[in-house]
Amino acid sequence: MGVAPALRALLARRRQGNVDQLRETLNRFRALVEENDHVLELIADAGEKLGGEYVFDSKYLRDLAAELKDAAHAVVTNLNAISQDRYPDLLEALAKIDDAVGAALECRLVVPEAPFVVSLEDVGTEQLEVVGAKMARLGEVRNRLGFTVPEGFVVTTQACREFLEAAGVGEAVEVLRAHFMQGGETLEEESRRIREAILGARVPRSIVRAIRRELGRLVRSGDGEPLLAVRSSAVDEDGELSFAGQYETVLGVPPEGVVDAYRTVVASMYAPGVMRYRRLHTIPPGCGYMAVGILRMVPARASGVIYSLDPTAPERNTLVVSAARGLGKLVVEGGASVDRVEMSRDPAYHVVARRVAHKERMFVAVSGGGAVAEPVPDAERDAPAVSDEELNELAGSARRIEQYMKAAQDIEWAFDHEGRLFVLQARPLRMAVVSEPRGRDLSDIVRRYPVLMRGRGEVACRGIGSGPVCLVTDPEQLPAEVPPGAVLVVRAATPRIGGMLAGASAVLTDLGSATGHFAAVARDLRLPTIVDTGLATRILTGGTEVTVDAEENVVYEGRVEELLRYQLSRASSFEDAAEFRTLRRMLRRIAPLRLRDPTSPAFSAANCTTYHDVIRFAHEKAICELVEIGWVSPPAGVHYVRRLELPVPLDLILVDLGGGFHVEAGSTTATPEDLTSRPLVPVLEELTTGGAWETAPASMDLEGFMSSATRPMPLTGAQAARPEQNLAFVSGEYLHLSLRLGYHFNIVDTYLGNSPADNYIYFRFAGGVTELTRRSRRAALLKRILEGHGFVAEGRGDLVVGRIKGLDADAMVERLRMVGRLIGFTRQLDIHMRNDRLVDEYVDRFMSGRPFSSATLSADEEPEDKGDSEMSTSTEVLVLDDEPMVCERLKEHLERKGYRIEVFTESQKAVDRLAEKRFDVVITDLKMQGPDGLEVLRFVRDSGFGTQVIVITGYGTMDAAREAEYSGAFEFITKPFSSKALETTVRKAARKARKAKERTQR
Amino acid sequence: MKPARKKVLLVDDEPIVCERLRPALEKIGFYVESYTDGQKAVDRVMEESFDVLVTDLKMQKPDGLEVMEFVRQHSPATKVIIITGFATVDTAVETLKSGAVDFIAKPFKIRNLCDLIVKLTSEEAG
Repeated sequence: MGVAPALRALLARRRQGNVDQLRETLNRFRALVEENDHVLELIADAGEKLGGEYVFDSKYLRDLAAELKDAAHAVVTNLNAISQDRYPDLLEALAKIDDAVGAALECRLVVPEAPFVVSLEDVGTEQLEVVGAKMARLGEVRNRLGFTVPEGFVVTTQACREFLEAAGVGEAVEVLRAHFMQGGETLEEESRRIREAILGARVPRSIVRAIRRELGRLVRSGDGEPLLAVRSSAVDEDGELSFAGQYETVLGVPPEGVVDAYRTVVASMYAPGVMRYRRLHTIPPGCGYMAVGILRMVPARASGVIYSLDPTAPERNTLVVSAARGLGKLVVEGGASVDRVEMSRDPAYHVVARRVAHKERMFVAVSGGGAVAEPVPDAERDAPAVSDEELNELAGSARRIEQYMKAAQDIEWAFDHEGRLFVLQARPLRMAVVSEPRGRDLSDIVRRYPVLMRGRGEVACRGIGSGPVCLVTDPEQLPAEVPPGAVLVVRAATPRIGGMLAGASAVLTDLGSATGHFAAVARDLRLPTIVDTGLATRILTGGTEVTVDAEENVVYEGRVEELLRYQLSRASSFEDAAEFRTLRRMLRRIAPLRLRDPTSPAFSAANCTTYHDVIRFAHEKAICELVEIGWVSPPAGVHYVRRLELPVPLDLILVDLGGGFHVEAGSTTATPEDLTSRPLVPVLEELTTGGAWETAPASMDLEGFMSSATRPMPLTGAQAARPEQNLAFVSGEYLHLSLRLGYHFNIVDTYLGNSPADNYIYFRFAGGVTELTRRSRRAALLKRILEGHGFVAEGRGDLVVGRIKGLDADAMVERLRMVGRLIGFTRQLDIHMRNDRLVDEYVDRFMSGRPFSSATLSADEEPEDKGDSEMSTSTEVLVLDDEPMVCERLKEHLERKGYRIEVFTESQKAVDRLAEKRFDVVITDLKMQGPDGLEVLRFVRDSGFGTQVIVITGYGTMDAAREAEYSGAFEFITKPFSSKALETTVRKAARKARKAKERTQR
Repeated sequence: MKPARKKVLLVDDEPIVCERLRPALEKIGFYVESYTDGQKAVDRVMEESFDVLVTDLKMQKPDGLEVMEFVRQHSPATKVIIITGFATVDTAVETLKSGAVDFIAKPFKIRNLCDLIVKLTSEEAG
């Protein structure tokens, strides 16, 4: 063999090798996108679980963590495979997130790793195990509800564990615990010894240093030496049982006395009263830790306690305020005479009864420590401690906290000399009398109330709320704020409304989903919320008093006091269960997206702190890598890389994988006439000629995306690596199209060959990260359009993915043209989607094939569908179920509705019949003798008559159900199902079948 | 006259499952007993007949299948629903074959289970 042929052979091999490598890269990229989607879906699903609709257990949490970890790692592995390991630091970031999520997961029984002190600004109930119940709630009241609370910080359970270890009491505690468990009565001596050991021990230096550091900050932030309250906040405190008042609180502590006070409070874990309380309620010692709150004392003019519901007579529906002058010591400790005011719980908060005490003494904090009694000036002894205006503010605040905590509240408060209200503590109120109706009676009682809506939509957050309807039909004309306590009823769940939810008592929407952003906002506020009701704005009128039971999914007319009291009297709300708190903690390390701007220097692997950050980063970088493959290091010999010359300003780079386009030597561009890629041609035809570009100036606004997405680009590597690049990898049969239009990503991955079995289209639309307001509308719209074209579409949060496969060439071309139109359409969506009510009309317009018509929307020129009754008489339905009973029931019911029915109990016979006659709709069971439901489904699909298949399945057969969806079932219905739901589905399926038939006849 | 309340027996070794389901079922009018220990549930079945048993599958002995088997022998009228976090089509088929009327994968929506129980108990009523 001569040299030249050998060289040629070598080059040929290299060429082939490069093509293979490119294919491998693309496969990696597809895998990355799939896993990326998987992570997004898991995040959205997990967020939905926080709404209380689902029952989940610790196994779910473990599975979630494992599945997320796997998917996120797969994303990163694929990125590193594409980029030749260019992002090793992303693996490090990922490992940290794995650890953090793992720690959040394991938090239930161990004291979590935490600093010795944390600022109150960073505290919420998800840190209950770190900061104890009292401080977790106070943080929540401050940070979520925006109330003023005293400044301060928390010495954590981690510090407590460290301190107790240093004090060497571990063994003694074990002994005490063992005696307790054996029923020992004489525990006083043992607990006294532990207490003294703690009081005599040195607080470890590292803890003291941490405390001093925070104290320094407190001192600097105010004028003069602050006096401090050192408050207990145990982990098992105020949980199932209240340890109210059992642990020590030290008031009026000067900064130098804080460490001693800290020791005192920790030692009170073993106070004699606490041990008796434990014995009484069978709560063994030694299983909790004490966090301690160190808070600046409020110079109180008046202070006291408010119960948001009178615990001795809840049926009276009143709030009770106790108030004293000065510090609240008198009120909390009882004993002295204080004012007592009873007020109505409705927003007028009028005074029902008032007893003003004769006040001779009041407590004030003194520098040097402690609180001392001072005489009240004679003239003020018989005056009320707080004004009516202040009472009103107190009542409103108590109701607000109660509503958020979903339980009646026991709140300590104070007014300072400037009249500012401080919340000092909030905890669930123990009801002295259990007067709520029992379950049975409740369900009977609520039956008496008129029902306005039942079983419509999806519960996004469980709970019960009541108030007058605040109706918002035009999202462009939102009221400045929702009246406090109102039930907000809106057409669409948009984030803009999210900002005004704070005062509402419940929310109902016509549109939206439980996995959307709005739902997440509602859950954050713990607002009872039902989304996607379809008709709430139409059937509810503004001002009407309603009660929303977002547990049974019912809206009652009027105030259903029994239900409201039932909610308040429950021991705790689901949000407080350990599993929910764990999930919230986990999600903090999973869901937030902090890397938003790819052009910012902060957009780096090292800055990824959540899984969401990681996948966002990896996706962005993967696209850059793909672009670079084309430009920077084109594979030798096969780098047919061309810019496509198009009549529209869409800058598209083509990379040929073989047979994708004709190549003119020496040219850097290709024209549409050069294209030979079967799937690319129809997409481009519609994308470039469908009218999508005629309104370009309008689309330049807002996000200015056209300026970035379509700017003609110099053909240099550095420029080409910009993330805005639009890219198509093509071969004769394959297309991978990656478009970034402004803040949206469109990906189309499709194969169109000769065998229908190999054909598929994957269409993915991911909304941007900064454009918030129109996401949910847009996602819903896309999903409906895709489904309308036979795609199996999933929408989670910002992401919409449509899949279809197994179509023949003609059907593929038709769908690909639709995809082209759809991409052009999404380009315009943001401009036009300002009004929620346009969603339906937009879907109709798109489906009618004229998405870019300039006609006004309301004037729909298309003839309406024929009436359903007329339609059903000509609809042929085949029913297949091996249970004759089921068949008979379905036949009877559907025939009554005018359908023509044939039933089969043997699947083989049904298949034979399907081969000879065209049916509009097939209803089939999944598990049967002979060909099973899936096989029937495939048979019907392959026959290509446009027949729609409805699969009936039990709850437990999800995998099969999923496969059925994937193989293109119209819908699957889970048993048990209502005949009404079935009928609706059959009707929809029939309509779709009819349309498919018309298309094939055209 | 008000009909007697239908009785539901819940068994799941994860307390959270009982804690969430019990009030939800009570609220819609059921009498509910819940146990995190299969043996206690079995003991109760000896003393009392329940309309519906909802049991987790994977538990310490006796596990869900054993509890179900026991209930089917001693209280054949009781309808059994299996809930499990280890859901596959095979387990579903197996449990349905062993006599459960339905099978629900965890996590599940509270309402789905409530609706199912309502349906099962009202079928019985006529």
